[in-house]
Amino acid sequence: MPDLAAGHLHEIHAGEEDRAAAMAFALSAIRAGNGKAPAETPAETLAEPLFLVRWRSGSCPAVLCGEGLAMLGLAPARLVIVEAGNELELLRAGLEAARCPGVGAILLETRGRLAGYDLTASRRLALAAERTRGRVIVLRIAAAPRPSAAQTRWSVAGAPSVPLAADAPGWPAIDVELLRRRDGPAGGRWRLEWDAEQGSFRETGDETAIPGTVVALSSLRTGAAGGRSFDPRAA
Amino acid sequence: MRLAAVDARAQALGLGPGMALADARARCPGLATLPHDPDADRGELDRLVAGMACLTPMAAADPPDGIVLDITGCAHLLGGERELAGRAAELAGYTVRHALADNAAAARALARYGTRRGQGGEDVHALPVAALELPGPALVALRCAGLYRIGDLARRPMAGLAARFGEAAVAGLRRLLGETAAPIAPHAAPVPIRAEARFAEPIARTDDVLDVIEDLLVRLERDMAARRIGGRRFVATLCRSDGARRRLAVETGQPVRDPATVMRLMRERIETLADPLDPGFGFDAIVLAVPRAEPLGTRQIELDRAEASGDSVAALIDRLGVRLGAEHVLRMAPRDRHLPEKAQALVPAATQDRGFSPPFAFRGGAGGGAARPARCPDDGPHPNPSPEAEDLSASCFDLAPVPRPLYLLDPPQPVMVVAGVPDGPPQRFRWRGKLHEVRLAEGPERIAAEWWRARGGHLPGGAGPTRDYYRIEDGAGRRYWMFRSGLFEERPNPRWYLHGLFP
Repeated sequence: MPDLAAGHLHEIHAGEEDRAAAMAFALSAIRAGNGKAPAETPAETLAEPLFLVRWRSGSCPAVLCGEGLAMLGLAPARLVIVEAGNELELLRAGLEAARCPGVGAILLETRGRLAGYDLTASRRLALAAERTRGRVIVLRIAAAPRPSAAQTRWSVAGAPSVPLAADAPGWPAIDVELLRRRDGPAGGRWRLEWDAEQGSFRETGDETAIPGTVVALSSLRTGAAGGRSFDPRAA
Repeated sequence: MRLAAVDARAQALGLGPGMALADARARCPGLATLPHDPDADRGELDRLVAGMACLTPMAAADPPDGIVLDITGCAHLLGGERELAGRAAELAGYTVRHALADNAAAARALARYGTRRGQGGEDVHALPVAALELPGPALVALRCAGLYRIGDLARRPMAGLAARFGEAAVAGLRRLLGETAAPIAPHAAPVPIRAEARFAEPIARTDDVLDVIEDLLVRLERDMAARRIGGRRFVATLCRSDGARRRLAVETGQPVRDPATVMRLMRERIETLADPLDPGFGFDAIVLAVPRAEPLGTRQIELDRAEASGDSVAALIDRLGVRLGAEHVLRMAPRDRHLPEKAQALVPAATQDRGFSPPFAFRGGAGGGAARPARCPDDGPHPNPSPEAEDLSASCFDLAPVPRPLYLLDPPQPVMVVAGVPDGPPQRFRWRGKLHEVRLAEGPERIAAEWWRARGGHLPGGAGPTRDYYRIEDGAGRRYWMFRSGLFEERPNPRWYLHGLFP
């Protein structure tokens, strides 16, 4: 699965009800990209702030929960929330943050069509990200994909989780689909599940087989013709 | 628990500072007490010292509860020493005791240990040895040696006293007698940081105004560098020739004195003005002041410019704060509260500093919807609306023992729920006109209302409804956090709210 590389612009599309899944995917990508354990010292937490640019109000106002962020392994102290009043302010603030060296990642949380986000605006963001080696992620909630300069475009939705004991909802599980990719073939769906031990999302279905339970089948059939055993050395 | 200070009536009853509270209560059951607040005492003392500036420029605080005034050459202006003392007592507004002496240490000792209470003419030699303010054992030793008065000590050779009672006794004695200096550190009102430019011909172009502001900033930078401070708030006042004044104010998250940084903010401020600068017939004076300043030392520039990234982020926060309003550039701060939506607050990012932590302060009403904590629509009345800034004491977000959602809906959304009585998990619910079948559920996690905050909250039903939280997953694989506001025994038909979204 390709990652959301630093120095590029990425788009994540999600439905209205899947915004938490999309946010979790973006945050885990940011965290994985840092390649280090969650910051413990205050100096380190402030060293690389994460800018979240969002609307000031919406039809369903929701705020990020610090404890929920901490559970995803992201120190809430790193987060700087910028509330823009309109679309233009949002894009301007995002661009300015993207141009600033020392900002770890920029998340633009948008909803709806976002008319101002066109090829030019996204190209500006992509160039700024390239220059500062930051990671710019545009969350597009309830929006149709439009042409843009993004490196990758994803679609994220919540997925049924593996129940815990007593039919409790399990760890976060999301379905991601790679809609577009600039430097390679697009397509591909993954079911990601939260791995509480590693503190990251993990693809399901790639668990290594538990050794010793099943004997692997031989590639050559023995005793196939007329009940005689087939000796490879004799062949 | 001991008494720190008592009033005159308590003193008449035989109570005094240092007495155990239980003893005092036993002696006087109707005793009214308040917790001791040394910080407030210090602040009040500073205020009094500043108020004494009309009597003498040399006024100093004498902690914990005294003021020393150097009235050399000042008394005749007010008609004499007695009048000056009366005036000082009037200014202080408290019950005060004063004494006049040739040096500060003697005046202090006379005011605190003298018997004639400001009548004047008392001699330092008649004071008890307690006036030396020595530690307890040394005082006992002095009394054991038959030395009760300062005069007894003053007659004896100093070398012997130092050998027996320590250096401190002799030093204190010499100060009292005026043999060594007892200097005071007078309170000096800080000189305001401001610069102004006046023009023979009024200027009208915005660019010229900005150039002048830059010149003034360069001047102030020198002034601030000499004092080792940096400005947190810069106010430029443009005086128009017809008398109208226009103020441009910018604030920074870190103390700065670099003119270029402040100029960027000033330009941003002028660009975002709701009504543009109207020069009229021109501005004939520009005044630049720094009403708020904080210590800022000189800093070493790193060779690899590692320092630059932190600075640029602070500058970015300032810039966005000037453009969008400081209350819209926020950081998350944990709070020492119990209810999930109140356990965190969004505070302006510019108020959170690295080196030191100033008290968090919310600007009244400026917080918008987000800075104010969410309030459940039927939480019931809050009889005790406390200021929100009080409990930003928690230092970090603890990892909750149970999963918490990533998004909190603010306010919680009412939903229609079919659930088992009395505390079964929801089986299906309707939110925004869409029916969700619940596949998995966990709960309840019971979170009680904050009964200790409400008046009468300890009475049954006095604190507001108890919440039962459930973590559920619907058939489409989305996880929600919802709660029932109130138990069935608390209210007949409790309502349900959707409060959070899990990833």
